[in-house]
Amino acid sequence: MSSRIPRLFEAIWGLLVEDGSLAVGIVLALAATWLAAMTLFGLVDQLGWFLTAMLLALFVANLYWAAHQAKIRGDGRPG
Amino acid sequence: MNLSALAISVGPAFIASGVEFIEATTIILAVGVTRGWRAPIYGTIAAAVTLAAVIGVFGATLVTIVPEHALKAFVGALLLLFGLRWLRKATLRFARIVALHDEERIYLKQIAELKAQGLRKTGFDRIGAAVAFKAVLLEGTEVAFIVIAFGAGGAAALNGAIAGAVAAGIVVIALGIALRQPLTMVPENWMKFGVGAILSSFGVFWFAEGLGTTWPGDALSIFLILGLFLGASWLSVRMLRTMLPHGAEVAARNV
Repeated sequence: MSSRIPRLFEAIWGLLVEDGSLAVGIVLALAATWLAAMTLFGLVDQLGWFLTAMLLALFVANLYWAAHQAKIRGDGRPG
Repeated sequence: MNLSALAISVGPAFIASGVEFIEATTIILAVGVTRGWRAPIYGTIAAAVTLAAVIGVFGATLVTIVPEHALKAFVGALLLLFGLRWLRKATLRFARIVALHDEERIYLKQIAELKAQGLRKTGFDRIGAAVAFKAVLLEGTEVAFIVIAFGAGGAAALNGAIAGAVAAGIVVIALGIALRQPLTMVPENWMKFGVGAILSSFGVFWFAEGLGTTWPGDALSIFLILGLFLGASWLSVRMLRTMLPHGAEVAARNV
């Protein structure tokens, strides 16, 4: 039973983080937006779109990388 | 409650929570059919009580201690981590890089695993209870995220989101009891794709609001953000399909 508790926490952690690079990218995008909000007071109403653009770029880049890795594995080379 | 509040909380909460209830029901059905119903029912009740206690303690603490703006930013960050993870997986599924979610296959695999564990004739079935407990706790946590996402707009939205989630639970459990088999007729992959995009859009909206952004048209901006996420996902599916030859698609499961 004691080994089930860490596994349960791992599973709950997995709800938020499945791909480490995507999770780190999201956190960095949020941090950059927060920093911008602290320093660029006049542009605070544009920050939502700034965040959206960063996340979309991150999302597409992450998928491209995943497919690229898959392609390499599909060709029989190490991923 | 007005119609816009209904549209923005009840409907999406019903659909998104429904997906989670279906997944939990599949596991509980597998346990019940294989090992009897007593243990999975106890496991389900224990998980529901645990979840209620955790949400009650942490939810109440967050709402009373954390200032409103910081709370919105926190909720937005969690939703983005949660929603983009769903959207990524759904996009990889539609690009045929990851196998499509198949409730029937999961049900049969779970039954095979539970049968392999063996069943004692006497005593309480701890394995059956633990499997049900874990499934309900995990899927229930996701339902909690969903309710928070669609209910963060205020008391009316929160009540609407809770009503949507509860209604989804009642419908799915009733169907599960009536059919006694996994609900394979539900287009889960499409629902997950849409829900991932919706959660991500709400995440962006709440995080920026938490930082003090005023969105043009207020909550109507969510539809524009949603369109951008759906558009990017659709383009990504097309891009990934052109990148991978058929052989590579097959070999590249579980990226």
